[in-house]
Amino acid sequence: MLVWEMQQSVVVTLKVFATLRKKYGFREIEVRCDGTLRGLVEEAAKAVGNPELVYEVFDKDGKPRDDRIIMINGRNLKDLKGRVELKTGDVVAVFPPIAGG
Amino acid sequence: MGKILKVDLSTESIKVEKTSEEVARKYLGGKGYAVYLIYQYLKEYEAKGIAPRDIDPLGPENVLIFATGPATGVAGFPSPGRYHVMAIRSPLTGSIGSANSGGDWGPFLKFAGYDIVIIEGAADRPVYLSIVDGEAEILDASDLWGKNVFDTCRILKKKVGGKNTSVACIGPAGENLVYISCIMNDEHRAAGRTGLGAVMGSKLLKAIVVSGEQKVEVARPDEYKKASKEALEKMRKHPVTGEGLPTYGTAILVNIINNGGLFPYKNWQTAINPDAEAISGETLEKTYLIKRRPCWGCTIACGRVTKVEKGPYQILYSEGPEYESIWALGSATGVKELDAIVKANHYCDEFGMDTISMGSTIAAAMELVERGLIPEEELQGLDLKFGNAAAMVEAVWRTAYKSGFGKYLAMGSKRLCEVFGAPEYSMSVKGLEMPAYDPRGAKGIGIEYATANRGGCHVTGYTISVEVLGVPTKADPLVTENKAQLAIATQNFACVVNSTVNCLFTTFALGAKDYAQLLSAVTGWDLDTEELLRIGERIYNLERVMLNKLGFDGKDDVLPKRLLTEPLPEGPAKGHVVELDVMKEEYYKLRGWVDGRPTPEKLKELEIEL
Repeated sequence: MLVWEMQQSVVVTLKVFATLRKKYGFREIEVRCDGTLRGLVEEAAKAVGNPELVYEVFDKDGKPRDDRIIMINGRNLKDLKGRVELKTGDVVAVFPPIAGG
Repeated sequence: MGKILKVDLSTESIKVEKTSEEVARKYLGGKGYAVYLIYQYLKEYEAKGIAPRDIDPLGPENVLIFATGPATGVAGFPSPGRYHVMAIRSPLTGSIGSANSGGDWGPFLKFAGYDIVIIEGAADRPVYLSIVDGEAEILDASDLWGKNVFDTCRILKKKVGGKNTSVACIGPAGENLVYISCIMNDEHRAAGRTGLGAVMGSKLLKAIVVSGEQKVEVARPDEYKKASKEALEKMRKHPVTGEGLPTYGTAILVNIINNGGLFPYKNWQTAINPDAEAISGETLEKTYLIKRRPCWGCTIACGRVTKVEKGPYQILYSEGPEYESIWALGSATGVKELDAIVKANHYCDEFGMDTISMGSTIAAAMELVERGLIPEEELQGLDLKFGNAAAMVEAVWRTAYKSGFGKYLAMGSKRLCEVFGAPEYSMSVKGLEMPAYDPRGAKGIGIEYATANRGGCHVTGYTISVEVLGVPTKADPLVTENKAQLAIATQNFACVVNSTVNCLFTTFALGAKDYAQLLSAVTGWDLDTEELLRIGERIYNLERVMLNKLGFDGKDDVLPKRLLTEPLPEGPAKGHVVELDVMKEEYYKLRGWVDGRPTPEKLKELEIEL
């Protein structure tokens, strides 16, 4: 197996919520990607046919947006120390700013 | 300064007093002013030789205070449509009674000419209080007794007429002295917690109707105009107050809290609900939501208007359910039918009951049933199994009328579980059922619940904003470090908000500095951030002194055993319990308390005169 194929061999679920569902027309999608968050979102954007999805999660400098709640297996990206390496079966959830009480 | 209406129902006397600028400067208004007043009653009783613990929550000696604050009814103040209610003792907890509500009633009380209404004594027949343009009367309510909340509101509103007319009342649950009953206003708004509906019911006071056109002045109009414009702009631009809450209301939290693994399910046996999507804000928006209904003067408008068109839970007009109600009546009970939750929420409003305590008490009963701890003859055919939507809905009206098994549910979960010999299944703190966040998945809300003065409560200090939502900053929910400090900061600031009185949701966009600017312009005092937070701390400490007098201290600042000893079985917080002791030690140290009691030095530092 080529290195590239190995990198692409991770299958991750991306879930979106609230306003993002209407905007992108899906609730969850399973995609094969390279195990990075960027890779996951880019592949998902291709799959749903809307490149805007990438900018929903990343800012113009390529960093995860501060005003989005991004959870990997229920843990907020901001609380995870170090580099994120996604594994097969992982679930990434993206929420727009929401609150309540 | 404003006016206080003091009503003694036993003697049918009505007095008008002025609010004190000195007290207001130290305690603002709303909750803070009410805490100060209630403390004076406690002192008075003690001087007469009546111990605070001998005060019967449902006796004429209990006192009920409805209080607005400097922001209530002030146009242009962010979300100023609320009021606070307090009682010396709650029938549910035996501790102080405290609740807060939105709608129109708070502002309209001010337009009727008063800042605060104090209810003493008890009537000898059903009465209601009418406050119209400064004139107050105690009137016969025999024909209203027995009527539900919607009828009572409509009848009195029509009778009084006028533009700014609003009714706060109790439904059958309050009349029947149900311990989890609440005071309702504007049909669907609730001063929900700690059973204050029963206190009103014990006084045979069915309703307070307010109406008037009196103007609310601000001290520095030019300065206020500027501060208001800036604050409202921040609210509009903030993604949460400007977009998230207006679009989805609070129910949008269901999926994120479930995803974070802290959405209690089946009486907190786990914190992930496999059916969360079915009861989520997104689903509500697609199915039963028809429009929004804001509180007076609010730019957020998180209130929901709903309609279930057909089926067994059909209801053609209702309001809500909001996040906590969906959780309690749905997730805590394992019910996944959203239409049943809408209907149960509607019944809670119609009969006047606290949705959090109602759902949680049903959930506790369901666990007792699951464990075979309730004899079948007590259930009288009610099949209280987790997930049984029909039984959940039926249990709600049975509670309001104390009918059949409802007589046990009407006691709240703590007494219910004690009666059936298993107190550990009541998911409550100080007798008040906890809301929709499992502290095993967010440690800060654990120390907050344990130390919240009114009992298991999230709005006493909403650490979830920081721990889960990342507003205004983000902290890891699974660590205990700095959580005591976070709980204290949120508790003190919430005291400021509840004494201002406006909506806690403004704090997603506004901080203490914004509040200081707005309040300085409204009151004419030069308040800075430091003084404001000190006022919040003062209120929290005086309230705690009252708790101490009522017999509550460190032994009561605890959590249900389940949260301390049963690790979460799944999700991101799998294996976690709440390490309460370590946070509690830090909390007391930072508060300047010993074993849940403020020290004399702390009280002196805060200029609290006992």
